[in-house]
Amino acid sequence: MAIDFTVNGVQHSVDVAPDTPLLWVIRDHLKLKGTKFSCGIAQCGACTLHIDGQPARSCSIPVSTAQGKAVTTIEGVSSDGLNAVQEAWIELDVPQCGYCQSGQIMSAVALLRRHPNPSDADIDAGMTNACRCATYHRIRQAIHLAASKISSEGRTL
Amino acid sequence: MNKNTLTSSDISGSQLSRRDILSASAAGALVIGFRVPRAKAQIIDPEGAAWALEPEQDEVNAWVIVAPDNSVTIRIAQTEIGQGVWTSNAMMVAEELQCDWSKVRPEYASVNRDAREMAPEWTLNVMGNGAQDPNGGGDPEFRNRDRTGTNGIPDSLYRRMRTNAAASVRDGRYYLQLAGAEARERLLLAAARVWRVPVEELSSANSLITHGPTGRSITYGQVASIAAQIPHPNPEGINIKPPSEWTLMGTERNNLDVPFKVSGKAVYGIDVDLPGMKWAAVRSCPVYGGTVRSYDFEQIRNEQGIISATDFPIPDPSLIRGRLFSGGVAVIADSWYQANTAIDKMPIEWDIPPENAAWNTANMRAALMASLDKPGNVRADIGEVDSALAGGARIVEATYTTPYLPRARMEPGNATVLVTDDRVDIWVGDQSPQETRHSASRITGIPEENVHLHLCHLGGGYGRNGNGPQAEQTILLANQNRGTPIHMLWTREEDFVSTTYRSMGVARLRAALDEDGWPVAMEVKTAMDEKAPGSTAGFDVASRYFAPNYRFSTHSVAFHIPVGTRRGVGAPAMNFYRESFMNELAHAAGMDPYQYRRELIARGDLPYKNDMIKALDMAAEMSDWGSPLPEGTARGIALEERGAEADGHATFSAQVHTVALSKEGKIRLLRVDIAHDEGFGLVNPLSVRKQIEGQIPWFLNDVLYQECNVNEGRIVENNFDRFPLCRMSEQPPEINISFFKSEHWLDGMGHDRGLSLQSTIANAIFQITGRRYRDLPFRHHDLSWG
Repeated sequence: MAIDFTVNGVQHSVDVAPDTPLLWVIRDHLKLKGTKFSCGIAQCGACTLHIDGQPARSCSIPVSTAQGKAVTTIEGVSSDGLNAVQEAWIELDVPQCGYCQSGQIMSAVALLRRHPNPSDADIDAGMTNACRCATYHRIRQAIHLAASKISSEGRTL
Repeated sequence: MNKNTLTSSDISGSQLSRRDILSASAAGALVIGFRVPRAKAQIIDPEGAAWALEPEQDEVNAWVIVAPDNSVTIRIAQTEIGQGVWTSNAMMVAEELQCDWSKVRPEYASVNRDAREMAPEWTLNVMGNGAQDPNGGGDPEFRNRDRTGTNGIPDSLYRRMRTNAAASVRDGRYYLQLAGAEARERLLLAAARVWRVPVEELSSANSLITHGPTGRSITYGQVASIAAQIPHPNPEGINIKPPSEWTLMGTERNNLDVPFKVSGKAVYGIDVDLPGMKWAAVRSCPVYGGTVRSYDFEQIRNEQGIISATDFPIPDPSLIRGRLFSGGVAVIADSWYQANTAIDKMPIEWDIPPENAAWNTANMRAALMASLDKPGNVRADIGEVDSALAGGARIVEATYTTPYLPRARMEPGNATVLVTDDRVDIWVGDQSPQETRHSASRITGIPEENVHLHLCHLGGGYGRNGNGPQAEQTILLANQNRGTPIHMLWTREEDFVSTTYRSMGVARLRAALDEDGWPVAMEVKTAMDEKAPGSTAGFDVASRYFAPNYRFSTHSVAFHIPVGTRRGVGAPAMNFYRESFMNELAHAAGMDPYQYRRELIARGDLPYKNDMIKALDMAAEMSDWGSPLPEGTARGIALEERGAEADGHATFSAQVHTVALSKEGKIRLLRVDIAHDEGFGLVNPLSVRKQIEGQIPWFLNDVLYQECNVNEGRIVENNFDRFPLCRMSEQPPEINISFFKSEHWLDGMGHDRGLSLQSTIANAIFQITGRRYRDLPFRHHDLSWG
């Protein structure tokens, strides 16, 4: 059965078993490898992407859920070069091994859409992805930096 | 290389002599203009790939390629696992090369070339051959080398390609500074030849060579192809800069791999996707030592995308470094999801050794405890411990336990392997590529010279997790399917089966205190698996905290759970035992735990005792030690040391942790103050800060949550639901890090900082509740109070 949805603005129609997790369709059928597999049970958030703008853990969501929807992955999160979150991530040198960072950035973008100027408590509540290198200290600073880039420098998400 | 390519003007007035030129010619080991064969199959997105590519121009030396536009490729022979080695090791080369840092691009050194080429003679002369670091600190560590690559190979091109023991900066610095200096001096010789001027009239900076008398300039890129043809006439005479002359090293530099890691472009092993590639899902026997009795492929043969199933025994350990712990089954399919879904449905029967299935957490811990009462391996025995213990005013005794712990990196183990009749190609994130190359050759019968490893980024290491046996399993499968690239990927649960663990541990410490509360004797007994590494860390040779009579013995039991080098190796458990016990002694003595530690270090005579005291003093001052705290909040202090027992490389820090415990029993780490040794100088202080910051929640995990229990011989906790990871909300809001200079080279800091959280949190709980807990993790205990 064909499932139709857009990924990063591009229309796709994939013919896979409808219970195939969205993650594996994105990675293996569409060959977008920036979204990562780690736990497979929606615990860690390495597979976070957006479905109609909302963060979702794609390892545990069947592709059929995406029917007719707009999926955004790390490859498409910035329409032009790097967005403010990615810039802040580079400026503060956030990643270590980097494996979870696609998911962290997707979660941070969603958080900043909800809370353009998030408090530390907002960040605690909104950033629940795991980082085994434990780069949380810099992730927090980078979210604050991204917020200020958006509010005072006119950068976009 | 023809010695006549150098004109007399190239060397006039310099320290170079005709004899030097002749010896350079005779050495003949300098390999130039060599091209690395491009990988046969083209892969997704090479922009974010890390592996060695075929250069488009001749290299200056095996570490440095300069393109006409002055972009510089620096080959890195150590593995980037988030510790920043791609950047710090590139900085060592660039410091001496004096190139434009903004145009540096690291890539992995070629593992295949390392099998076929010998090291340039000048590197042999300086490494491990009696050459001393100009600032002391002795030889780089290149000991115990053999052809399996277990500790690096003595004379292969890149020698030590292993990444472990926080040694990449320590062992690489001298060597890589030389590589950069050798390249720069050859670029200068090339410019001298172009202009027909004496080389000593030239200077270089920022990839530009300037001729002093005329003011002419020329770029590195313009002379690089000429430099590639000019051997260094006197490589043994190259001097490297001491820390006082560093301009790039010692500055905070953003990590060069980061841009690819925020755009999703960095290619990890899991991302490799080749034309015609098939995927494999694996199930290994969950009880280590078990093998496959039978499996029923017919049950899944007709599932969509399924191609085949195969089983593998526990191979001859000599083939695969002994790292495949159980037999298993693999299902090969068009996609991994198909393979993994099908293998879940396939009936598999195991042959499980009953003696292994008889182990569980309780009987293993009991066996370790019992071993403490049997004779152990005495590692230090100073004075008359038994009589001193009998004569002390007061005896303090405590028993501590630590659980089995895996590394639990985020990227599950995987590898992609293509075996043909005369060549093996392996795409993998790997911390020991020389060892994997050796395994591939042993398994396939294809010589190492025809084994090509294409190194990928790794989703974490934390103690050499990136080594296998994922490569060996995949080589076994691909060898049975020659001509087809096989990408094997473990599930998270499988990643917990096919790894090594830090051993469960127990320790009993006893001290006799005099009437003033100072130890007159101390006895330390620790026990872990007999094959566990790191059993002597922190207690060996002499007590860090002085006791005139001191005995340390290690004890062990043979278990079936494979043990290895989880981050910090033995140090985290040992630090928990030692620093917890110091808190107990200080309490028994009625003294402040900071002042108590300080006095006991001062009474001893360890070579770096002043650095340890300095660390404690600085951390105490940073934290405003002794100032009042609200109810339910407490501070703890502890020492972290590596190499305190002997003169050589060493690393010291002290940490103060401010901890709140709610009445409901929830722990919150509020503040961390760290005083950290920087030795003669840090190469990239930013990487060091990041490593320290990350190790705080990393070891907080060990205090609060993480353990693996054993039931019927198998590991119980095997995914992040039952093996939790700290999240953002648990990150301490304040981390203060200050560095202090010391007169020794650092012994690495990527793996054993932050482990003092174990003792400081235990002591904070005691201060707040009056209850001592000596068994990690603390999630077992109801910590509520008041």
